[in-house]
Formats: sequence, C-alpha cells, structure tokens
Amino acid sequence: MKKGIFHRGPRNGATNTPSPAPPNPKKDPQPPQISPLEKRLQDMGPIRVDGSDKFFGMENYGNTCYCNSILQCLYYSVPFREAVINYPQRTPLESLEAALAQNLRFPNPNAHLEAEAQAAKQKATVPSARQAGVTPNQPQKPEDKESPEYKKKIALQTLPILEAKNNSTSYGMSESLFTSLKDIFESLVGSQSRIGIIRPQQFLDVLRREHEMFRTAMHQDAHEFLNLLLNEVVSNVEAEATKQSFTEKALPPSESADSLGLTNSSGSKSPNTTRWVHELFEGILTSETKCLTCEKVSQRDEVFLDLSVDLEQHSSVTSCLRKFSAEEMLCERNKFHCDNCGGLQEAEKRMKIKRLPRVLALHLKRFKYTEDLQRLQKLFHRVVYPYHLRLFNTTDDAEDPDRLYELYAVVVHIGGGPYHGHYVAIIKTEDRGWLLFDDELVEPVDKNYVRNFFGDRPGLACAYVLFYQETTLEAVLREQAAEDQASSAAAAESSTQQPNGNLFHVHSVPTDDPNRLTPIHKITTAPGQMPVHPEVPEHEPTTPHAPLAPQPVQPPEVPQAPPIPSEPPRALSPKKSDVQSRKEKAREEKEMRAAQKAADKAAKEEREQYEKMERIRRKEADQLRQAQIKQEAADLEKALRDSKQTSKVAAVDIGPENGSPRESSKFNIFRRGSRSISHRLSKDKEKEPRVSTSTSDIAPTPVPEVPAQQTEPVSLPVVTKDPSELSSSYTSVQTFPPIQENPSNDNHVYNANPKANGSSSHTNLPFISTSPGTLNNSNPINFHSPVYSPNGNGSSEKSGNSNGHTTRWRSFSFKKSAAS
Amino acid sequence: MFVLPPPPPRYTIPVAYAAGAANGMAVPVVETNNTISHPEGGCPLQVGEGTYTLKDDLLLATPPPHPSEAPIINPNPLATVPNPPTCGVKLSLVSLDPRKKPPVFLKAAISAPQFGEGNSALAPPAAPPAKDALKRRKPKNNIIKSSSSFVSRVITHETSAKRLNDRDPNGVFAFANINRAFQWLDITSASKEDHLTKVLFTKSHMLCHDINELTKTSSHLDIVMGSSAGDIIWYEPMSQKYARINKNGVINNSPVTHIKWLPGSENLFMASHANGVLVVYDKEKEDALFTPENTGIPEKEIPLEILKSVNSRNQKTNPVSSWKLASQRISNFAFSPDQRHLAVVLEDGSLRLMDYLKEEVLDIFRSYYGGLICVCWSPDGKYIVTGGQDDLLTIWSFPERRIVARCQGHNSWVSAVAFDPWRCDQKTYRFGSVGDDCRLLLWDFSVGMLHRPRAHHQNSTRQRTSLVAPNSQSAARTRADSGANRMRSDSERTENFYEFEPVTSHPIEPRSRTAMLPPIMSKIVGTDPICWVGFQNDCIMTSSLEGHIRTWDRPSDSVINNANSL
Repeated sequence: MKKGIFHRGPRNGATNTPSPAPPNPKKDPQPPQISPLEKRLQDMGPIRVDGSDKFFGMENYGNTCYCNSILQCLYYSVPFREAVINYPQRTPLESLEAALAQNLRFPNPNAHLEAEAQAAKQKATVPSARQAGVTPNQPQKPEDKESPEYKKKIALQTLPILEAKNNSTSYGMSESLFTSLKDIFESLVGSQSRIGIIRPQQFLDVLRREHEMFRTAMHQDAHEFLNLLLNEVVSNVEAEATKQSFTEKALPPSESADSLGLTNSSGSKSPNTTRWVHELFEGILTSETKCLTCEKVSQRDEVFLDLSVDLEQHSSVTSCLRKFSAEEMLCERNKFHCDNCGGLQEAEKRMKIKRLPRVLALHLKRFKYTEDLQRLQKLFHRVVYPYHLRLFNTTDDAEDPDRLYELYAVVVHIGGGPYHGHYVAIIKTEDRGWLLFDDELVEPVDKNYVRNFFGDRPGLACAYVLFYQETTLEAVLREQAAEDQASSAAAAESSTQQPNGNLFHVHSVPTDDPNRLTPIHKITTAPGQMPVHPEVPEHEPTTPHAPLAPQPVQPPEVPQAPPIPSEPPRALSPKKSDVQSRKEKAREEKEMRAAQKAADKAAKEEREQYEKMERIRRKEADQLRQAQIKQEAADLEKALRDSKQTSKVAAVDIGPENGSPRESSKFNIFRRGSRSISHRLSKDKEKEPRVSTSTSDIAPTPVPEVPAQQTEPVSLPVVTKDPSELSSSYTSVQTFPPIQENPSNDNHVYNANPKANGSSSHTNLPFISTSPGTLNNSNPINFHSPVYSPNGNGSSEKSGNSNGHTTRWRSFSFKKSAAS
Repeated sequence: MFVLPPPPPRYTIPVAYAAGAANGMAVPVVETNNTISHPEGGCPLQVGEGTYTLKDDLLLATPPPHPSEAPIINPNPLATVPNPPTCGVKLSLVSLDPRKKPPVFLKAAISAPQFGEGNSALAPPAAPPAKDALKRRKPKNNIIKSSSSFVSRVITHETSAKRLNDRDPNGVFAFANINRAFQWLDITSASKEDHLTKVLFTKSHMLCHDINELTKTSSHLDIVMGSSAGDIIWYEPMSQKYARINKNGVINNSPVTHIKWLPGSENLFMASHANGVLVVYDKEKEDALFTPENTGIPEKEIPLEILKSVNSRNQKTNPVSSWKLASQRISNFAFSPDQRHLAVVLEDGSLRLMDYLKEEVLDIFRSYYGGLICVCWSPDGKYIVTGGQDDLLTIWSFPERRIVARCQGHNSWVSAVAFDPWRCDQKTYRFGSVGDDCRLLLWDFSVGMLHRPRAHHQNSTRQRTSLVAPNSQSAARTRADSGANRMRSDSERTENFYEFEPVTSHPIEPRSRTAMLPPIMSKIVGTDPICWVGFQNDCIMTSSLEGHIRTWDRPSDSVINNANSL
C-alpha cells in the first residue's frame, strides 16, 4: 500500500508534506475523536453511486455563503441532483475518478494542531494584526473549541478538500453555470470520501464572469441567487438542447438513449427532456379576475419557480401562503379594464395555484422596504413552518390539490439586516437525518433544531428560504415507523448492550487493514484503489456506469484533459471515509514522520501564508463593507433630501411597474388594474417597495426610490469595484441611462432615467447595485420582470434565447392582504 | 418628520430568558410581582349572543433564573445544544361551587368501570382505613421545609392565610405555571393578582398540571404536575405537602407533556411523556426502576406497545401501566365524558382513539398535515376537536368515526381548544380555540349547517357514515384508501393486519370532500402566542406564553349570567 503523501490546497503550492512532528500525545485528543458528523455517518456501507452519502462542506471565499447554502439545498434535492448529474449524460465514473484523483486532497490530519500552535505564536507576537483580520463575531479567545469559526478552521485543515474543476467538455457542453454546477455535483458523487470540503471556486468564477453583480465580496441575497441559478440552468440546458438538435441529427439516436438510460443507475427518471427544471420547480399561478359588472371571469396563467410570501408577525407559512389567495377588490383608481364590458370596472381578483411544483421553494420576505427608513429592514416576525405542508390555495381544476410536501431544507439568514449577515442551510438528508451546513462545517442536528429559526429567538437567525418537496403519506408513515423502530431499538440497545444491528456495522469496523473492505467496495470504487487508477476494467461487470457506449458528443479521452490541475498529480493516501482512515493515517504518519519533517515545515509556512492572505482578504472585505456602509448612510441622507418633494408623485407613478410582480404581471393586459397596487400601497403605512419586493431585497444599498422618478436624471451613487467593466457591461442594456462618473475614485453614479423605461414593462426601479454588472446583466431585474419582456432578456450571456422558453421565470411575490 | 417604526419585535419569552440575556434583553433579576391591568377600550369579543368584555389582564411575573442556573450566554444562534423543554402558561381552575359546574349532557349516568378493575393486585391497596371520607390522604413532605434540590423555595404571600379564611368558599382557585414557578391564585378575590403561594423549582419547568375533581374539598386539593425533567409532583396546596413521583425520571425520563387524573379515580393519573409513552401512575405508590415487562423489541409495529399492562400482577410500585404509542411526542390527550375512551394527539400528526380501559387503540386519524397539538371532547362525547400545525381545527365524529369538518381561521398553529358547555346543546356546539397567532377564535357548529364543498355535494350522502357497517361502495373505497395509508404499509405485514389489529387507520380526506367551517369570531387578543383557553360559567379565560391571563365576562344580557348572578 502506498503511504499517503499529504499536501494542502493549491495556495500552498501542493508541496510534499511529510508527516508532521509527532504530536504531543497529551495535547492531541483530536485524531482519535470522531466528529459528530462521522458518528452520524457510521454504518453507511459502501460508497453509493447516487451521491446521497456525500456530506461535504463548502469553502467560503468571503461572503459566498449565499451560494454555498443554496448549492447544498439543491444537491440534497434528490430529483434535482439526479437530473443535473444525468443531463446531458452522466460522466462515467472512471473519468470522474481520474479527475477527482487530482482534485481531491487529503490534508495532514494533524495540521490544525500546528496551525494552532503557529497561531498562538503569531498571536503572541503580532496580536493586533490578527485581530484586525478576524470577523467581528469571532471571540477574542481563539481557543473556543465550540465556536463555528474554530470548527471550520479545523475542518479546513483536517478534511479532504475537493476542488471542483471544469469538466464540461467530457459531456460536451461549453462551460456555463450549469456545467460548473454539474461539475460540483459530479465531483461530490464521484468522491471516494464521504466527508470533506468542496471548493466551488470554478462555479464562482463562472458566476462572477457572467454576473457582475456577484463580483464583489458583498453579501448577496440567497433567494436572488437561487432564482438566478435556476434560470441560468434553464437557459443553459435549453441552449444545449438547441445545439444538440443540430449536432445530434447526425448521430444514431440509440446512443444518446444509452447514455441517458443505461448510465442511470439510481433508477430515477433520467432527464431526457430539457424541461426537468420546470418539472421540478415550476408551478403555475392563475389569477382570476371577475368583473363585477358583467360577472365575466378572466383568467391568466403565470409560471413561477419559487414563491415569495409576505410575512406577518405570529403567523405560519400556511397562513402566509393562503393570504395571497384572499380576494382583492379592484376599485376606485384601481379599476379593471374589462374586455367584455369594454371599460374600467370594479372587479374582484384572486390568485390561485393551478399546478403545484414538485419542489416548492418558499421565500419568506424578511427584508421589507420601510418607507420611513427608506431602506430594507429585516423582519423578525415569528413565522412558524411545519415539517409537512399542503397548499390551500389551489384552483378547482388543479391536479392533485392535496399534494403533500415535506420540508427538506431551510436556508437561514443570520444577521440584523439585508446587507450583511450569514447564510447557512439545514437540510434533511435521505437517510442521515438533519444536517447543518455552515460553509465548511457540516454538523448533524436534531430534528427539533429545524424549529429554532421561526424568527423569535435571540441571535438574529431566521428561516429565509424553505424548500418543500413532494412526498406521500405512505413515505411519511414509513419514515415515522422507522423512527419508532430506531428509537425502540436504541432503547433496547441501551438496555441490552448488544445491538442487533450488527449487519450494518460490517463496513465501518475500524481496522488497520485498508484492503479488508474490498468485496463490496468494488461495486463502486474501493477507497483504497483510488490512486491505482487502471482498476477500471474491474468495474465493468458490476458498474452500470461503465462507459461502454461511446459518448455521443465527446470522445472518452477528452474528459481527462481539462480537469487536470496545474499541480502535478500526487499519489494520494488511500482514503477511507470512516473512522479508520484517521487511525490509519495517524499510524502511517508515524512511519513517515522523519522523511516528511522538512517538507512539513515548508507546508506550515505556506499555511501561515495562506492564512495571512485569508485574513488580509477578509480585512479588505470588511473595509469595503465599512466604506459601503458609510457611503450608504451618506447616500441615504442625500436621497432623502432629494426625494422629499417628489415622493408622492413617485409613489403613484412607479407603482405599476414595480409593484409586487403579481400585480405588474398583468400590466400589459390590465394596465389600469395594476395601478391599483400603487394606490393601495400608497395607503399603506409601511409601503410595499416599489420594486417587486424580492427584487428590492437584493438591492445592496438602500434604495431611495424616489429620485429615479424625477424627470431629470438623478444621481444614484453606486459603489463598484472595477470601473473598467462599466463600458462593456453597459452596452447591452438599453433600458438604463448612461452612467456618470462620480468625482470620487471608486464610486460611480448611475443616472437612472425612468423615461427611458417608461413604456417597457421593465421594473424601472432606481436600481442601485454594488457593481455595474447589475445593470449590464439586467438579470436581477429581468427575472423579476413581470412579463416576459422581449427586450429585457437578451443579455450578453445567451444567444439561443430567442425562443420563448428561455424567458426568465421570476419568483412570485404574494401580496399581503390587509390584516383583519 | 419621519416616524421611526418600532424596533424589530423581540418580545421577551420568559422561557428563553437565559438566551435573552445573551441578546441584551431585559431579564428580571429580582423576584417581581404579578400585575393586573384593565386595558383601555378592552378587547371586546362580539358574537351573536352579545359582547364579551375584557375584564382584566393579569400578567404573571416571570421568576428570575435560579442562582445555580446562570444564564448561559451562547452568542452562536446555530448552537446545536438542545433547548430545555418549556411551555407557556397553562391554568388549572377549580371551584367548589356546584353552580359553576358545567352542564352535563350525558343521558345515562356514567357507568364506566374503574381503570384496572378486575385486577386484584390493583384492588384498593390494603383497604386504606377510611376513617373519615372527607379526610383525604396528603402527600408526605412539607414543601416549605423541603430540602429537596428539586424545589428551590416556596413564597407564601403574607396575607394568604387571612385571604384563605375570608374568601368566598365558592370562589375559583387557579393554578398556573410560568417558567420555573408554579403559582396558586384566587381569581375571584379582589386582589387576584397576589398569589397565595408561589413554588419555585430549581431547574425544571412545570409543563402541565391537573386538579382532581373527585377529591377536592375546601381543605384539600390534589394537584399533579409534570415537569420538563420528567418528574411529577403531587401537591396539596392547603397543607403545603408534596410528593415526588417518577423521581429523576426513574420510570420515564422524558418531559411530561400533559397530565390528567383518571376520571373517577382518587389516586390514578395519566401522564404523557415526550417520548411517546403514556403512563398511569398512582399517587400513593412508590417508584421503582421500570423495565418493560414485555421483553425485547416487538416483532411488528403496533399502534400501542404495552410496556406494562394495567393487568400486570406487579402493582406494588409505579407505574400502574405504561404504553408506548410512538417515538414522537404526545402533545395532548383527553378523556371522553363517558370515561371510557381516550383521544391522544401526537406530533406525528395522528389522532388516536383508545379504549383505555381495555388498553386498545381503536382508530387512527391523521391531521391534514403537520403535527397535532391539542384535543378535546364535546360535552356529550359525540365529537372530538383537534388543532394542529395545519392551522386547522378538525371536528371528528366519534360514533361515526369520521371527519366532520375542518375549521379554517387561525393564522398559525392552534395551541389549545375547548368546548363551551354553557353554550352547547344537543344540536349546536360552541368551542373556542387559541393559537400562536395570538388569536382567540370562537366556533359554532351544528351538523345540519355544515355544507360540503359544492363540487362534491352529491357525494356527501354516501360519505362513509360508519366504518362498522359501511355500504359496499364506500367500503371498497375505504379499504383501498386505508390500505395505502395504513400505519404499516409493508406488504408482508399487512397479511396479519386485520387478524390481530382491529385498529382502523383512516385515510386523510381530501379537501374537496370535507366541509370547511368558518369561525364566528376571530380576534387578536394579545401580542404573544396564546397557549390556553378555558370556559367558565361566567367568563372566557386565556393565558399566553409570556404570562398574560385574560378574562372576558360573558355578555351581560346573557341568560347564563343572569342565572348566576342570583
């Protein structure tokens, strides 16, 4: 058996890291200890091929928790994961392995001890530098072993690190957000380790390349990101489909069928259409408007990928969802243009769900625009959410109106406001219960833990996005029965000492012999065999993934080429996913200690370097944020002054376009009807933001909404990082006015000229963004734009967008009806 | 001028004050007194029979944390340490006034046998020498002089002896839990905000309590209360005596979620534990380390796993009986007025109807979705109402064993439900419900007025009326449905299902086939979740999470009120 040679991530230059100096046995309680996660993952059996047994943290590159939490939620949606992996075809495990062999790194399990020692030393010498870099949350005493910061640090230092690399050519797609998502998923599925940390660097690179809004280290809105990601996946997949329809004509159809059908081992439906995102997340809303004069009911369908619901203090998700179906009168200035009577009439309107999505993503609108403060404020309403859900507001003809949903993931926002904070995800895994995914950290939690985020607890942590997936009562009952059994078994176990569950223990018995586990592991890929790559033939009889069928688009050799990392491939230590790997490693290290000492020292230094850089980076981010906040404050004042006179006009004018999407969605047809919103809104004390609320949620700076409505351009300051991007970014956007440069160095001023947009159905909110990318891409606006606006969506990234399907679905906002 | 909105609502939950302290919330450090207020403008409840007017709002003082229980400051909102169980304020009311008794609707006198009748081991233990029928047996230990580490201290109000002597013998006592305190109040006295006695426990919070209606006298009240630690206290307030049962969780170490005296029993009471176990205890018996009498894990899943039967010969020590219903929390249970049946609701969303005398589960119903939280019986025993996490109240017909209607009106989870027997008759029923939405809702229903959804009106006639003798058509449907929804869906087990299990697991009725009932009154009555509602002959009372006890007088023109103001 080759002994492991450990090295760290790319920033360390992947030096050969000999085993560290023998850790002081007294001071070294860590390696033999198994983490709570590992404990939860005992008895897992062989590595599975469907990826359901991978529990990876995700590295945070500075405020990328919005991305991490959403990616985790999507990964643990079984149908979504399956679809992503299987579209357009599943990458054969072998080629995945080859890539992974180079992308997976096993760090030195003792690394953290030294880092700690080092940190202690460093702290002693330069305490101020350290303190400047740490996040404000971090306690002064770095030895708080219970703090998430400490745990994350340890995780980064001890767990295998998996780099997701671009592998898109192997399945014949050009790099896109979808392919990088697929690469992450495939890396996880193909990983030999069950736990570790994945680095979504490539994904973020693509995201930032295509969406400038995400280029800064700013806090982003997780729900916005979810919506953008789903829309991107839709358009990427559809672009691919268009491409394939050209190329595939030449290919025999059986092959593509093979690639879809045969390689799909997990038995789930392979996504042989491009509509799988729609099938999972898309639902249809119907708005019924009944003219009170002629009694004619007109209907209008709209699709949604997620639902945004208004919140009320002390309410439930059920009630928030029901609220939007409450009847609403269109009267007075709000009248409805009835085609039947041919005039403005009073009407009654209600929204109902006509088609229920399979995965219901519920966005709780915790960030509410308050007119008094002229900015978004976080609502700490107590909103309870049950583990199961059905929808009351379905139409009479809805299919399966009693569909049962189960809560499977919660994205939690921690923080006092919309412009900063932290996101984590709490996810119910298929068979390992609920886990908390906090960037690098993955921790098992109790089922009741999920209920800590109703919003009423101290700590500012509130559920922000809820993911419900369809289920059946039978499945629920089965699960409950299993829980009952488990609990009584546990009780029996505690009393009788010897559990009867030995069958399951077979593969997790800690052993020093890594080769012991082969027979079953062969089915997938034995951990011990990873470095020895030419094992492939062995898989063929057992693995359905064997790449026997020629790849329709890409020759099988290609996949290996792109993902090879810049570092020379290293022999990896035989990695086992369970406890024994730790022990094993510890033993191995002892043997190699002497040889590795020197290199280890180097690695240590590099680690320090890395940490230093990390700290500097954070510090920079902090400073940026500070500057931002200051800027915001200044802007706010200015905007307030500017807006005072015009605010009333603006409230009315801006409403039709920017009111909640539900209203504006009918803008084209019921032009007058939508105006009612603004009227209604202006009556409200706490106004609905002019923007569709969800859009305004992401506006990273306080939006003084009024100035934009003035006839002459009003300067709206924007903090941006890279002014050079402006020119290119701007070109594709017609709906936005030219940009003026602020005298100040880094800040740019945009003139939002509402007149330019006046006639379009665009949300011509005075959109202020941290980066010019917002304007360029028009995404944040566009996918909220109520109608599939023809002009809004031809943004730079997609050329094949011409057909109607690629229109971005926006998330749907429910308006709160007046409280009784 | 801009009017600043109120700060983000961060109301203080007494129960979480430890965490609250960490967050900079005001936390009481000294023992505070209850306060009473008479809200300006009141909070009138307008219904058909008149207007209920808010008499007062009594705010129970949240006790400061015990010195040994220093607030744990954990700034990490993601900390995975479990939160200790606690609950909002619940009340137990007792009055000796026969006029205050709720009307009785049962035609025949209750003739249910005693629990465990026929088991000689349970026969009156050593025939206690009943010298004086009124002389009740008291618990052994004095709670004031107690050196127990469980009880922190007892605060007797300086005037309480005098008040007890002077009080109207027909007045109403209330017992209320708040945080780690348990207060005894005289709510008909002029100074009702002053507690008579306040018991402070060290760590445990009392989650539920009940007064024995059978044994109450002017000098004796048997109270049992269940704690978050699993321990149960039998408390006699007049003599300040107490006994501890299930000490340190020796019988069941899981929190007690609900506790009730067995109807018609002087000594036996039932407690539901959070781990899904229903235990009957005898207040007189000693604890003993409990090991389930049936050995091993049951081969098949059964709706009721009898850990110890009431018919067990070993009845020298507690428990009298112990049944495991599920691994999930039992939220609540209620005895039927005929004292033969038991309705149990669980966190898994099931309502289980039991013949508890025979230790059998008869029927399993399920919520529309989510867990069930509360349950009660109509005074005539014909209907059961449950409330839960689907924001609904659901009316079930007990004789017909079917769902009658779903009641939509709450904006959040329903925490408590109770019938108003003074406004029930043989045809119409009044019940009230409260929830996490801070609302009090009143509902009227009569079977005739329920209308089924339009589209399915014609079906309603052949709605399953009875599972005992269904017509063939609906029987087929029932079978098909329940086959899919039954508790055990594994095919190999269903073979034996009907042979051994007379349990009927009912399918969930789709919305389109179920009547939907609107409330007759819905009112936000507070700013914090309401967790208890009760009806008295002259008032409606609610209590909230933070300790607000609100009392509404019945409409003055109400017949009842006139009758009682004699």
